[in-house]
Amino acid sequence: MIWFLLLLYVVGCGVIAAFGSWLGRNALWVAAIPMAFTALWSVTMLGSSEVTESGVGWIPDLDVSILFRVDALSALLSLMVAGIGVLVCVYAVGYFSANASGMPRFAATLLGFSGAMVGLVWADSVWTLFAFWELTSITSFLLVGFKHTDPVARTAARRALVITAAGGLALLAGFVLFVDASGTAVISEISPVTGSTATAAAVLILIAAATKSAQFPFHVWLPGAMAAPTPVSAYLHSATMVKAGVILVAVIAPAFQDTEVWKPLGLTFGLATMIWGAIGALRHVDAKLILAWGTVSQLGLLITLLAIGTPKATFAAMSLLVAHAVFKAALFMVVGEVDVRTGTRNINELSGLRRSMPLTFAVALVSGASMAGVPPLLGFPAKEAAIEAVLGLADAELWVVGGLVIGGAALTVAYTTRLLIGMFGRSAPMPDHDVAPLRPAMTVPEVVLGFASVAGFVALGWVTDIVRSATVLVAPKAEVYSLLRWPGLTDAFITSVLVVVVGVVLGAVIARRHVVTGPAARGAAVVDALIDGVGRLARRVASRVQHGSLPLYVATMVVVVGAAAVPFVGQIDPDALYWWDNRAEAVLVVMIVLAAVSATAVTSRLGAALVLGAVGFSVAGLFVTLGAPDLVLTQLLVETVIVVGFVVGLGRLATRFPSPTRLWLFGRIAISLVIGVAIAVALAGSAARPSGEAPVRELAESAVQEGGGNNVVNVILTDTRALDTLGEVIVLLVVAVGILTLTRTRSTRRPVGETVQETLT
Amino acid sequence: MIARTSPIVALAVRAATPIALLIAAYALFAGHNQPGGGFAAGLLLGAVIVLRTVAGLQQPRYAVALLAAGGIIVCLVAIAPMLWGEALLDQVVISREVPLLGKVKSGSALVFDLGVMAIVVGLVTAVLDGFGAASLVDRGLRPDLAEDGSSPEPEVRT
Repeated sequence: MIWFLLLLYVVGCGVIAAFGSWLGRNALWVAAIPMAFTALWSVTMLGSSEVTESGVGWIPDLDVSILFRVDALSALLSLMVAGIGVLVCVYAVGYFSANASGMPRFAATLLGFSGAMVGLVWADSVWTLFAFWELTSITSFLLVGFKHTDPVARTAARRALVITAAGGLALLAGFVLFVDASGTAVISEISPVTGSTATAAAVLILIAAATKSAQFPFHVWLPGAMAAPTPVSAYLHSATMVKAGVILVAVIAPAFQDTEVWKPLGLTFGLATMIWGAIGALRHVDAKLILAWGTVSQLGLLITLLAIGTPKATFAAMSLLVAHAVFKAALFMVVGEVDVRTGTRNINELSGLRRSMPLTFAVALVSGASMAGVPPLLGFPAKEAAIEAVLGLADAELWVVGGLVIGGAALTVAYTTRLLIGMFGRSAPMPDHDVAPLRPAMTVPEVVLGFASVAGFVALGWVTDIVRSATVLVAPKAEVYSLLRWPGLTDAFITSVLVVVVGVVLGAVIARRHVVTGPAARGAAVVDALIDGVGRLARRVASRVQHGSLPLYVATMVVVVGAAAVPFVGQIDPDALYWWDNRAEAVLVVMIVLAAVSATAVTSRLGAALVLGAVGFSVAGLFVTLGAPDLVLTQLLVETVIVVGFVVGLGRLATRFPSPTRLWLFGRIAISLVIGVAIAVALAGSAARPSGEAPVRELAESAVQEGGGNNVVNVILTDTRALDTLGEVIVLLVVAVGILTLTRTRSTRRPVGETVQETLT
Repeated sequence: MIARTSPIVALAVRAATPIALLIAAYALFAGHNQPGGGFAAGLLLGAVIVLRTVAGLQQPRYAVALLAAGGIIVCLVAIAPMLWGEALLDQVVISREVPLLGKVKSGSALVFDLGVMAIVVGLVTAVLDGFGAASLVDRGLRPDLAEDGSSPEPEVRT
């Protein structure tokens, strides 16, 4: 079933790709089908103790496999992912106009993202999880940059990709260390690990989770990601993808509970994010940005609760995770609808929409109240559980963590109040003609999600069962907790009431203050400057290194080769060197030396080519004296082709070499000496120390028996070491392709340096 | 027009071509037991093409096709044994009696050599095509042969 559903996602993407132009906006309905099936199957798995597992080997040698496991926890998460996905697809049908362009691309990417997310929550191997994790980063990048003609969207998408991909690298490193420390890559089998490796793994994995879940200071990409169409924001940047980090922390937490860094670092991330996000939400005037910053704050709260690590806190985090997905997706949809129907999201320009958009107002009120933690809504018992969990802490933790969480809760109420007043409150309603008519496809998903917040409270026993059976998988001791409709006059409840009262007053007061524009995105600007800076640096380095001067390229290569010969100096054994095997060699060597020296003195290019040919033919003669007919044949042929080729090719150049400057002349002499000495040293060094007996006999035997040939050299080339030959001919291929591409574009010549600039920008 | 292309060179190259081709074919087939092989055969053919180009008898063409064919052949020979569960590049030797030649032994290495040869010829052609042919035309050494083999007027160079 797991494979069937994942295959359905792939097929869905394929269908949209194939029939996209014909489907148009209806591609979104196609995208909803796999999600709907996944959601239905997840419902049947909810709360059950049944587990469905499946896996295949991927790289058996490295013990890397693709493993999936659907249990109560992953079913709950996949229900959220797929269920909200279906609603978002329906919503998007209303959000986009019927003739909007790029709809198939949008639907396919959305579906691809959804599939990646489902794979992520079902993954039972850290490697599988990593693969899907990266897939969500990429699809998210594509979705944020959906309006690819808009530079703002492009910058935001790039920023999101760079930050989350950096996190992905940290995750990979973290997983490698984790597997090293724990000895298993299977998530359901992890046990507590300690030690320095585990500590490093914990830090890296937390950083990865922080980038994905927009924790301070990595949160800067999330508000920017609001450049995406609102269905994307509602889906990725509130309900699902940003939860990936939280989910990761939840499932991996049992392994790192005992490391020293896990809790302090997690709490630092979480608390800083929670407060800074809430402050951000209070400062912005764009309703979507308010929600984005609110999401940052809520994610901080979730990470805080998971970092606390008590069963109660984990249980609270899971409850909040569910509640948040429901109300935040609804609120984003509301903002999107307001945007589409009034043409603005600025809360300064919006007012009194409660009259002209009553249904939307109802959904916003219900979801907002759920976010603020007001009964009778799902957010209330979840927040109660969270407050109760932090009040259960002792000493300094109670004061710091508890105080900040309660403060953060009050700020949450405040920005919710401000948002609702800003959009729907205030006396003067917007004129009715400014409000476009209702679009059912947008309203229905909102109402469903709004209703879910209410229903979740009504059927709280059922919700408790589901969340509890999910939580016990990561925190077995959590089975004693439940969500309560009416907790009684406990400390937590009294705190909660105070939080709401303070928050509402604070929110109402801030809402009165007229803020013209939101704060500038300084963090985002820093990240962008960093990315641009790296790009500029790369261009500068490239134009330095790729200067386009052929003599300098050759000189560089020669000097490097010369440096590589240095280790051979120590290996030269003077006793093993002798003058010649055969007198004829001496004659040939004299010829070679004469030809080589005269090659440096010849001023005509044709003459130089011929003299070099003489060197080559003399070397072939040396091979004759050594009794290597294959080498002779090849050398002669190569030299012939090269000399004739030179003659042909020299037509493009002046007949004589340009006379060099004095400096360059000495430079060339030095470089020539370096390469000459280097090659001599390397040859002498390697010839003086033959390691062991030459395997001539074995090679000759295997050539006849296995290779089926009597010419040992050629059998080595085509059979014994055929892989080498394959590699060599592929090098030839690459060279040929290089020559063809270089010479066929010769008509468009530009000054050196400019070419580099252009190809990079 | 063919101002400085010597008719003697052209004739000599013409006469040498079939002999060189024969030697190349021999080198290819003999390579397994005697000096030769795909690389040598490719170089021989390459030399033929270079000479014929210089003599104005042909243009270096089909470089891309040769390179592609060679690349595909060597890769296929490399991968094919894996389909039968053998190791990469595993060699298959066939030997049978052939009239006139007696016992002939050959194998997949011959096909591999054929691919190597195609790549080498392709490389030589590519080099000629890139650097040489155009320059010969530029210098008026030989006319630019059009696709149909006719010789257009050389462009006037100042």
